[in-house]
Amino acid sequence: MNKIFNPDSIAIIGASRKPNSVGQGLVKNLIHGGVFTSRYNKPYKSKIFLINPNTNNVLGLKSYKNILTIKNKIDLVIIAIPAKFVPSAVRDCIKKKVKGIIIISAGFSENNPEGKKLQEEISKSLKKARIPLIGPNCLGIINTSKVNASFAPATPPKGNIAFVSQSGALADSVIDWAISNNYGFSKLISVGNSANLDVGDFIEYLSKDKETKAIAMYIESLSDGRKFMKAAKKCKKPIIVLKGGKTSEGKSAISSHTGTLAGSYRIYEAAFKQCGVKLVTNVEELFETAQILATISYRIQNSIGIITNGGGCGVLAADHCESLNIKLAKLSKHTIDKLNRSGKMHPAYSKNNPLDLVGDALSERYEAALDAMLSQSNIHGLIVIETLQTMTEPVNNAKVIIKAQKKYPKKPIIAVFMGGTFTRPGVNYLDIHKIPNFPYPEKAVLAIKALIKA
Amino acid sequence: MVKQLSIFESEKLLRKYKIPHPKSYLTKSESEAISQAKKLGFPVVMKVHSENIIHKTDKGGVKINLLNEKDVEEAYSKLKKLSKEILIQKQIQGTFIFVGMKRDPTFGPVIAFGIGGIFIEILKDVSFKIAPVSKDEALDMIESIKSYSILQGARGQEKINIKNLIKIILQASKLAMGEKDIKEFDFNPIIINSKEAKAVDARFLK
Repeated sequence: MNKIFNPDSIAIIGASRKPNSVGQGLVKNLIHGGVFTSRYNKPYKSKIFLINPNTNNVLGLKSYKNILTIKNKIDLVIIAIPAKFVPSAVRDCIKKKVKGIIIISAGFSENNPEGKKLQEEISKSLKKARIPLIGPNCLGIINTSKVNASFAPATPPKGNIAFVSQSGALADSVIDWAISNNYGFSKLISVGNSANLDVGDFIEYLSKDKETKAIAMYIESLSDGRKFMKAAKKCKKPIIVLKGGKTSEGKSAISSHTGTLAGSYRIYEAAFKQCGVKLVTNVEELFETAQILATISYRIQNSIGIITNGGGCGVLAADHCESLNIKLAKLSKHTIDKLNRSGKMHPAYSKNNPLDLVGDALSERYEAALDAMLSQSNIHGLIVIETLQTMTEPVNNAKVIIKAQKKYPKKPIIAVFMGGTFTRPGVNYLDIHKIPNFPYPEKAVLAIKALIKA
Repeated sequence: MVKQLSIFESEKLLRKYKIPHPKSYLTKSESEAISQAKKLGFPVVMKVHSENIIHKTDKGGVKINLLNEKDVEEAYSKLKKLSKEILIQKQIQGTFIFVGMKRDPTFGPVIAFGIGGIFIEILKDVSFKIAPVSKDEALDMIESIKSYSILQGARGQEKINIKNLIKIILQASKLAMGEKDIKEFDFNPIIINSKEAKAVDARFLK
């Protein structure tokens, strides 16, 4: 599979002169890294061969009639021609001994019985030839450090999250979102119909990929559930799944209680839990959870602390902890003594967890609170909330958080800087120093939940 | 076509996989029922035996708490309207739970565990694991239902012996892996108390 993600040469069968066509999008993505302009686009630096029997020139590049007329060795072939022509193109690829194939074209098993037959034919011949196949009916793949072998709009920023998607369209929008939020990916894989390579295979590949620290997936259905579970159990990296399709399948007329109760989604849920896969409920949670699990590699015990300069926001965070079964540690006498002795506390500070520092808290008060809370042995992680009051110091607050995180490297601090324009400089500072931060307490609680050992 | 196994085929499987169950006696007359009940000792349970009835309780096909000969007589006359063959068992006291299996098209055999009895499909308090189930996974199944505190003896309920429950789940998992032609099964209820756990009703679909 490595030659698909790191090919030394690529051929596109179906390179097109037609603007706005998939066949042209593929060419542009190889040459420029994207159809849309983005600073993250990365042109493919090795050899590109275009194949189109009806012309000898696509976007100023020479085009060939047939892959067999090319003398060079070819690693990856991307096929984007009508389904009925695909089998013969695949036969040529086998003859040419290519190292991997992505079939973009639709019109296979997702379409009709004839398409299914075509797909089976292709699948069988490529298995026999031992040539890995991605697709058909997919968007392609992107390796952010090497190649955009897809017809996605652009290349997203480079990072350490891999995204494997059973929906190509979702991946497209995620790329646009990632570009505007500077969210980094290592690999993006659109699996399409999974005729040969399926999500289980990609987990296996990504588990060994040095650039990937967490795997995010959008899955609607698995063709081989047990293979998936085996791969996921073996994979040491966090896997986060958003599962589409919650409606249960039709039940047979005669059925046991178990048959009636075991709807398809419940079984997916159980299977994911059993193989250590984290299931999330929406797209935003998918990527936020992946990010936090990729950033923080250790897991903590279920006992945390909350610091806030606004009572209400502390209450919201505590409520959310309660509903997610996250335990708030009781402040020890030692911690309260330490807070009292610091000389930085407001006379009316809460002396409880959540620790309410009161609205006029400056950074030195946050600093004393961070140190006191983190020094308590059964506080394993911290949510630090900042609301914006007239005297609040977002940048300095960010600085004391970063300092405290350095002093306690195994106790994650999740920041909640609530606000907008005036809070932004503090948020930027946190971002640069990779302190996870969110604009709302609920999200911080979800993030810390992801870090708690199951 | 899905077919339900007879009581005798079912008991054979239960024995093969060492799943504890009370012995059932088939009776074909009222006098036979009474003498069997006396032999077993009251209270007894009587139920219809028919391959066509899947959910017996819905059809009034299960009579429990039969304390004396008169109760047995009454139960017999009602049940014989539903089926020619009537089963009689000694009644066990305890909490109702259930263990079941179905074959999922994606993941294969799946084991289900939950609070049993007639409200299973209403309460939907069930946990699932893909078979084969390990000991730790069986424990996780038990601990992850909402009604777990009932099993631990909440509100004056008898605290059950979790080990017996784990054993049944593990045996059910072995049965699921070993008997490929069984499509689904339900042990419902399994009656469990501090001493024993018995599958008082087992239904296998082939």
